[in-house]
Amino acid sequence: MIRVEHLTKVYDTGIVRVQALTDVNLEVRKGEFLAVMGPSGSGKSTLLNILGCLDRATSGSYHLEGIPINTLDENELAHIRNRKIGFVFQTFNLLPRMDALRNVEVPMLYSGVGPRERRKRAWEALEKVGLADHALHRPNELSGGQRQRVAIARALVNDPDIILADEPTGNLDTRSGLEIMAIIQGLNRQGATVILVTHEHEISRHAQRVVHFRDGRLVRTEVIAEPVQAEKTLRENSQQ
Amino acid sequence: MNFWEMIKMAMENIWANRMRSALTVLGIIIGVMSVIMVVSIGQGGKARILREMEGIGTNIFGVYIGSTDDDYEKYRITLEDCRAIEESVESIEALSPLVYGYAVVEASPRKESAYVYGTDSDYNRIQNIRMAEGRFFSSIDNAVSRRVAVINRRLAEELFGSARMAVGKKLKIQQVSVVVCGVAESGSGMFGPESPMVYMPIKLHFELFDSEESINQIYGSAAHKDLVEESARKAIRVLEVRHQVKDSNVYQFVTLSQQMEAVDQVLAIITMIIGAIAGISLLVGGIGIMNIMLVSVTERTREIGVRMAVGARREDIMRQFLLESVVLSVTGGLVGVVLGVGISAVVCMAMKIPAVISFGTIILALLFSIAVGVFFGIYPANRAAKQDPIEALRYE
Ligand SMILES: Nc1ncnc2c1ncn2[C@@H]1O[C@H](COP(=O)(O)OP(=O)(O)OP(=O)(O)O)[C@@H](O)[C@H]1O
Ligand SMILES: [Mg+2]
Repeated sequence: MIRVEHLTKVYDTGIVRVQALTDVNLEVRKGEFLAVMGPSGSGKSTLLNILGCLDRATSGSYHLEGIPINTLDENELAHIRNRKIGFVFQTFNLLPRMDALRNVEVPMLYSGVGPRERRKRAWEALEKVGLADHALHRPNELSGGQRQRVAIARALVNDPDIILADEPTGNLDTRSGLEIMAIIQGLNRQGATVILVTHEHEISRHAQRVVHFRDGRLVRTEVIAEPVQAEKTLRENSQQ
Repeated sequence: MNFWEMIKMAMENIWANRMRSALTVLGIIIGVMSVIMVVSIGQGGKARILREMEGIGTNIFGVYIGSTDDDYEKYRITLEDCRAIEESVESIEALSPLVYGYAVVEASPRKESAYVYGTDSDYNRIQNIRMAEGRFFSSIDNAVSRRVAVINRRLAEELFGSARMAVGKKLKIQQVSVVVCGVAESGSGMFGPESPMVYMPIKLHFELFDSEESINQIYGSAAHKDLVEESARKAIRVLEVRHQVKDSNVYQFVTLSQQMEAVDQVLAIITMIIGAIAGISLLVGGIGIMNIMLVSVTERTREIGVRMAVGARREDIMRQFLLESVVLSVTGGLVGVVLGVGISAVVCMAMKIPAVISFGTIILALLFSIAVGVFFGIYPANRAAKQDPIEALRYE
């Protein structure tokens, strides 16, 4: 489903030359939940941006559902981002002047969905993340966890195959982080492929597989036989 | 996203910064407003002047002594001159002498200062004076210098309360008692109602004002529009021969078409000046829009990144910002049109001229504001569309 071969990314600012990724080979199955770990600067975000078609590799190949992403032009990349990929950022990246509902509608503005249908699907997406009752709130009227849930609703509203999350719990407290993980695991159970960048060990335990990066290289792969279920942790915590 | 939704979105973004947007489009507003105003008021004024001139008759001309010569006595126009012109110039249909005076007119207990014109009975026909009450004085009144006068409605109302009340009443002008034989409608002057006026037989005028026979101006009407200038020249020729004039600048004439040309020239100059102001306003307005759009693009860098991340193409971003600048400038244009039309209407009403609102001008002004929006919006929009999505997302 996702296949990356000999992927290299070099940032050349003219003054410095940074090798952010070196010869990365990676395959992610459809419906898999993969965590990417590594110290700061190890190239995790760089990889995710390339997988998310926001950036291009310097060399190597990237196939998404058999599509050779390297060969696509900008508009085709935009189309892939719109239909096949849902991005979740550490800093939420909601549009501040719009309420939650309209934030969730934004991806559909670029996929030719009519206004009524858009509204309906945005509501449904907000219901999925349990935030329908806050649909008309603006981002600054929401907590961090709620904002991230709006961002997740936005990521899944076009029904993407892949959800890419770059440290989605990085700005959240433990409990909100767990709630977000529960939602992401739920989406994964419903069939979405999830790739999640984190540097928190506990968070990475929710994935089925963890790849470790160091200095732009994939150094270790770890299969987690029994991923932690965020739902369960939340339930246990609330009982205490 | 269809076109209307995009416009709605642009409006929302403009509304979110309404103060800043309003200040930005001020240049456009002023530019469009002044264009609409100058065209409407100019056209209205011209229509009014034309109507007035046509009311008088396009065939009339005036002859007068131009250069104030030391030998005025030799050149002064007499009633005999008028008769000579009337007899020898065939193309002239009617001719009236005119002397001006200014006096206090008394109808006890009231008093009023008025212009007092001495002329003959043809004058009301040449000038197309409409009578409100009574009659204009007749050629017999004129011949025998009967002590009668025609006053205008303005003066009648000032002295007697109404036009009807005035007829048959006595006036005292220069200590001489005169009977009002008719009341003329006041023609309305360019800047407000006409002044109080008295018309009387010319010889009576000479008598009252104790002056020698010296006519200020001869009014004539030609048989045909095309004969106006020729008639005036012939009339002057007669005067020149009779007064043995060598310098041909002594007698001069004025025609309506000359006056119309002068009006046109003044209008053209005003139009040009205001046009230049409007052009500069639009230019400044356009630069203002470009500036504010550049600010907006920078402020919304992250938004651009987000939109790109969820699937916006560069052309979508381009379109969004371009439309925003066009909506901004067109809003300014519309406000300018509304203000321009409104102010023109008020000014025209105050000046008692017909308000001529030209739809062509409105459309042109709006097209111009669209053009300004596009022209000055392209650079900022292009800058927005050129952002790198990752850089944009990282922008603080
Ligand atoms: N636009 C850029 N220009 C130059 N160098 C860059 C750029 N983006 C990233 N880098 C460099 O590439 C390397 C990898 O960066 P990346 O952001 O992928 O790290 P990361 O693993 O996500 O780190 P963190 O955990 O801190 O987010 C770093 O050395 C970084 O300085
Ligand atoms: Mg990172």
